[in-house]
Amino acid sequence: MLTSERRTKTLTAVLMIAPFVITYLTVFAYPVYKMFALSFTDAPLIGDGRWIGFANYLKLLNQKLFFTSVWNTGYFVLLTVVPNTLVGLGLALMVVRLKGWLQSLVLVLFFLPYILPVSVVTQIWEWVLDQQFGIARYVIELFTGRRISVFRDPIWAMPMVALVTVWWTNGFNLLLFIAGLRNIPADYYEAAMLDGATRWQCFRRITWPLIWPVTALVLTLQLILQLKIFDQVYLMTEGGPFNSTYVLLQLVYREAFRLNHGGLGSAVAVFLFLIIVTVSVLQYQLLRVRGR
Amino acid sequence: MSGIKLTGVSKSFGAVKVIHDVDIEIEQGEFAVFVGPSGCGKSTLLRMIAGLEETTGGEISIDAEDVTHREASKRGVAMVFQSYALYPHLSVFDNMAFSLSIARRPKAEIEKKVRAAAEILRLSDYLAHKPSQLSGGQRQRVAIGRAIVREPRVFLFDEPLSNLDAELRVKMRMEIARLHRQIGATMVYVTHDQVEAMTLADKIVVLKGGVVQQVGAPLELYRNPDNMFVAGFIGSPGMNFLRARVAAGASGRLTIELDDAPGIPFEIPAKAGLPAGEQIFVGVRPEHIALGAREGGIPLSATAEFIEELGGTGYLHALTATGEEMTIECRGEERPQPKQPIRLTLAPEELFAFGDRGVRLR
Repeated sequence: MLTSERRTKTLTAVLMIAPFVITYLTVFAYPVYKMFALSFTDAPLIGDGRWIGFANYLKLLNQKLFFTSVWNTGYFVLLTVVPNTLVGLGLALMVVRLKGWLQSLVLVLFFLPYILPVSVVTQIWEWVLDQQFGIARYVIELFTGRRISVFRDPIWAMPMVALVTVWWTNGFNLLLFIAGLRNIPADYYEAAMLDGATRWQCFRRITWPLIWPVTALVLTLQLILQLKIFDQVYLMTEGGPFNSTYVLLQLVYREAFRLNHGGLGSAVAVFLFLIIVTVSVLQYQLLRVRGR
Repeated sequence: MSGIKLTGVSKSFGAVKVIHDVDIEIEQGEFAVFVGPSGCGKSTLLRMIAGLEETTGGEISIDAEDVTHREASKRGVAMVFQSYALYPHLSVFDNMAFSLSIARRPKAEIEKKVRAAAEILRLSDYLAHKPSQLSGGQRQRVAIGRAIVREPRVFLFDEPLSNLDAELRVKMRMEIARLHRQIGATMVYVTHDQVEAMTLADKIVVLKGGVVQQVGAPLELYRNPDNMFVAGFIGSPGMNFLRARVAAGASGRLTIELDDAPGIPFEIPAKAGLPAGEQIFVGVRPEHIALGAREGGIPLSATAEFIEELGGTGYLHALTATGEEMTIECRGEERPQPKQPIRLTLAPEELFAFGDRGVRLR
C-alpha cells in the first residue's frame, strides 16, 4: 500500500513529466514511427498506401539522383565540418587574447551572422557573389582571371554554399571554443613559459589536448547539422546546376512534396536518419577514446 | 657573488604603483621568505623575479647578471605555483619531464633526471598516475619535482602550501626545509603565514603596501622589530600595544607613563628626544606578561574576558581599564576566571616603544 505522502509525490512527479512525455510522443516518437512505417508502403503524401516491403529501398538503389544526393551531401559535409571547426578554433585562439570590452565587441561581431535567418544570409551572399554587381567578383576575378556566376557553375556552386554556411554558423562554434579556452588556467601557460615553451609548443602540448573535449563536441554537432543541409541549397541553387548541389533532404522534399511519393520520400528520410545516428554516435565515441 | 639582488625595483599597473623602490639581497643558497598581508605586493615581486611580470623601474640581477628585461625562460628560475599548475592530461612523469621534453633533451637523460627527482620526493611509485589521482600533498610534491628537474639557479615558491589542510601544511613545511638542505639552491618563498616564514626562512622580508618594512633573520625580526607593523606581524599571537605618554625626555632616555598605569613612570632607551606629553605606543609580547604582582615590574590591572586553551599553554584575552585588548600567555596551571579582575606585571626591559607613526624608538 502506498502511503498518502508517497501517493502525492508520485502524482506530482507524473504531472511534472507529463507535458514533456506527451509532446515527445506526439510530435517526435509518433512521426518517426510513421516515417518508418510509410517507407514500406506506396502511400502518397496524404492517405494510406499498400505494404510493398523493401520495394522503395530497391527503387532508390536504381535511382541515379539518390546516389548524386548521397555524394553531394558527403561532399558538403567534407567542405564544412572540419573547416568550420578549425576556423572556429583559430578565431577563438585569437579572440581570447583580446581583453575586456574589445573581446566582447569582437565576439558580438562574429556572432551576429548566426542570429540572421537563413533567407537573409543567402540573399546577402547572392548579392555579394553576384556576377554583375557583387563586391566579391573582383576577388574571384583576381584568382581566376574571369568573372564567374558561382551559383551557376557546377564546380563553384557547392564550395560557395559551404562558404556561406561556415560564415553563417561559425559564431556559435567560436563561442563554444572561447568558453573552453577560458577554462584553461593561465598558470599552465605561465609554467610552460618558465620552462621555455614556444607559442607553438604551448598550443600543441597544453591548449590542443585540453580543448579536445570541446573540439569533439563541436565536430559532432557540426556533423549532425551539416548532414541535414537543405535551406541554403534550396534558396541559393535549388540543387543545380546539373544537380551538382542536390542533397538528400532535397530528395526527400522532391519525392514527398512535389511528386506525391510519401513512401519513397520516407525511405530516403529513413536512410538519412540511420546515417546521422550511426555516424554521429560512432564519431563521438571515437573522438572521446582519442581524447582520453 | 651569486644569489639574487634587487636594486630600486618598482612596479606600476597604469597609474597605480604597487611596488616601491625595493632593495633586497639574497645570498647564494639562502632561503628567503617574502611575508606580508594579502595585497602587499609579495606575489607580484616574486613574479617580477620570475619574469612573469614586467619591471617598471630598477634592476633585478641573478648570479650578478642583470636579468631585468630578460625572458622568463632565460633566467634560470623555476617556480612552484599556488595552484600547482599541473597538466591534468599528462602523467606525473610527463609533468615532471615537461621542461626537458620541451628542450628536446635525450630520452635517457629525461628518464634519469625525473627518476632522481621522484626519488628525492618519494614519488617513484606514482610516476604513471595522473594528477587527479593524487592527494593534495602529492600534487604539491610533483609541482616541486617539476622545478627540481630543471636544476634551476633559483627556486621560487608562490604560497605553495595554502591549498593544503593544516596538518599537511606542517608536514610539507618540513619537506621543503629538508629539500633546501638537500639541494642547497637559492629559494624565494612567498607566504602570508608568519609561522611558515619563521620556521622556514634564513632571511625574512616583511612587506606592506609594496614597501619593504624590514629584512632580517627570523629571530632578529622577533627580537628587534623596526616598526609597529613588523612587531605586530611577526610572532603568534601578535604583540600587544598600549598607549603611553612621554613624561620627561632627557637625551638617551625617555621617561614614560602608560595610560593604563598612570603615576608609575619608567624609563626606556631612546636616542631621539620627544617633548613631554607626546603620545607613543608601547608593545609587549603575550609571552612577556606575568600574571599577578611581581617585584620591580610595571603593574597593570585588567579584566579577564576568555581563554583560548591549548593544553600546555592558554591565551588569556583581557581588557585594560582604558579598553585596550590584550593577549596574555598563561603557562602551567594558573588560569584566571572570565569576567574577573586580574593583575598583570610588565617587565620594562621586554617593552618596545614606538613613536606615533609606528617607528621604533630606541
